[in-house]
Amino acid sequence: MRKFFPVEELARDGRFNQITMKDRMADPRTVLGKDGVRPSSNRLVPSRPDASTAARVLMHGIFVGEIQALEGAGRTCHDFRTAGDQARRAQDAAAGDDSGADAVPFALKLDMARQAWDEARHVEISVKLSDWMGGEIGEIAENTVLQAACSTDPVLRLAGVNRALEGLAIDVFTTMKEFGDLAGDPFLEFCEDWMLADEVTHVKMGSDWLRKVTENDPERRKKALEFQGIVDKLFSYGGTRSDSEESPIGLARRFRELAGFTDSEVEDIAEVSLAALNERKDAVARLQAEAASQFAGR
Amino acid sequence: MTITVTPQTFSYVSFDADLIGRVAQSLVGALGLEDHPVSIEVDETTPLARSSVALSDDMGVVDNISIRVESGAFEDTRRPRQQSENATATTLGRVLLRARDRLLGGFGEAPPDDELSLAQMAAWETYCVGRLVRLGIEVNQQRWRYNFRNRHGFSDAADAAFDRIWAGDGLTWGELDEISRAASAT
Repeated sequence: MRKFFPVEELARDGRFNQITMKDRMADPRTVLGKDGVRPSSNRLVPSRPDASTAARVLMHGIFVGEIQALEGAGRTCHDFRTAGDQARRAQDAAAGDDSGADAVPFALKLDMARQAWDEARHVEISVKLSDWMGGEIGEIAENTVLQAACSTDPVLRLAGVNRALEGLAIDVFTTMKEFGDLAGDPFLEFCEDWMLADEVTHVKMGSDWLRKVTENDPERRKKALEFQGIVDKLFSYGGTRSDSEESPIGLARRFRELAGFTDSEVEDIAEVSLAALNERKDAVARLQAEAASQFAGR
Repeated sequence: MTITVTPQTFSYVSFDADLIGRVAQSLVGALGLEDHPVSIEVDETTPLARSSVALSDDMGVVDNISIRVESGAFEDTRRPRQQSENATATTLGRVLLRARDRLLGGFGEAPPDDELSLAQMAAWETYCVGRLVRLGIEVNQQRWRYNFRNRHGFSDAADAAFDRIWAGDGLTWGELDEISRAASAT
């Protein structure tokens, strides 16, 4: 069976429209206010006039994020050889693949299988919550962040999917759970709380396996953590998630701690998220100046 | 019937001013607002989706309808920066109906838009969108029900109030506000 699908070939039906982070960042419009005037808060709270729409849009983001996490965890079970699996090694060798460097412990695959089961459940819960909020499958363009799930190194997958993508899920679910609680939505708070518990477990599994698999290979661990830093910045979506009140989604420090992040790792994520926010603001100012000069030149 | 759209050419988004004008013209005709000049200003620098409407007297003869819209309100959410005709019609329909309510009477005691509470605004939006559906514009009712619930509570009483407003026609501000208050109190 074929392994290591590229990000462009992952399955989506006609309801979905995918856009890349590059497309998204090329949008010169900004919600951050003009002329350096910053809104006091963009946090997703029920008192925001556009709260219902903003929550529905975020729920769609959660839904597609769950599909991507399901793909990442499920494919990790299949793409990599289990350490000591001679039959698979022989099969791969017969197919012309004699690399043994990608072997992963069987228990890691079991954790990924459990995670795939959880993510499938989360997809179904997210679809039902979307219906409840008046959302429709595919109504919002899907951001493709699956590069993290398509790495050919299992350690980079753990860093990219379990620690960065699932770490973002912790932040998003915490924000959504608080939103449901404040709004008095009887289902949203409850469902988000349950999914949050799973996500903390997934991140913890990623943290534990990353340390274990790279126990005797500090260079590989360093590379994985660097990769995670890049993905964390990417998943900050130009500052959509950060400690700043300008970001709709906050950083869930306590749950990240429970998931195995050290204090310094959380500080690093806070720093890259804030840097992403500031870079986005600079980029928007530049794009707006370009758009204005094009308009003036007509 | 005078309808003006600003800007005529867009640089941040791929919107069509003519399409906005045509959609507005059709709605203005359907709502019987032909005697009122309509100006539509689109703020394309933000992806937010707020919209507002103001009435202004032109030498005491005709009430001009001034609409201001952020680009997200006309956007196709599946294709960022592209225009959605349905979103354009829904947004313009909502604000034009609010303007018509104020112009035709029965809403004299309604506070200015920027002084409406979130619950009052949700009730009025529900009233507008329910009427838009009967004009043939396609909307997702559950989306508006969720908005109404967020402002009036997740209860059977709130749902019953929503259904009554959604199906309503010819309500006055006093009636609308009373339904909203009663739902919130429950």
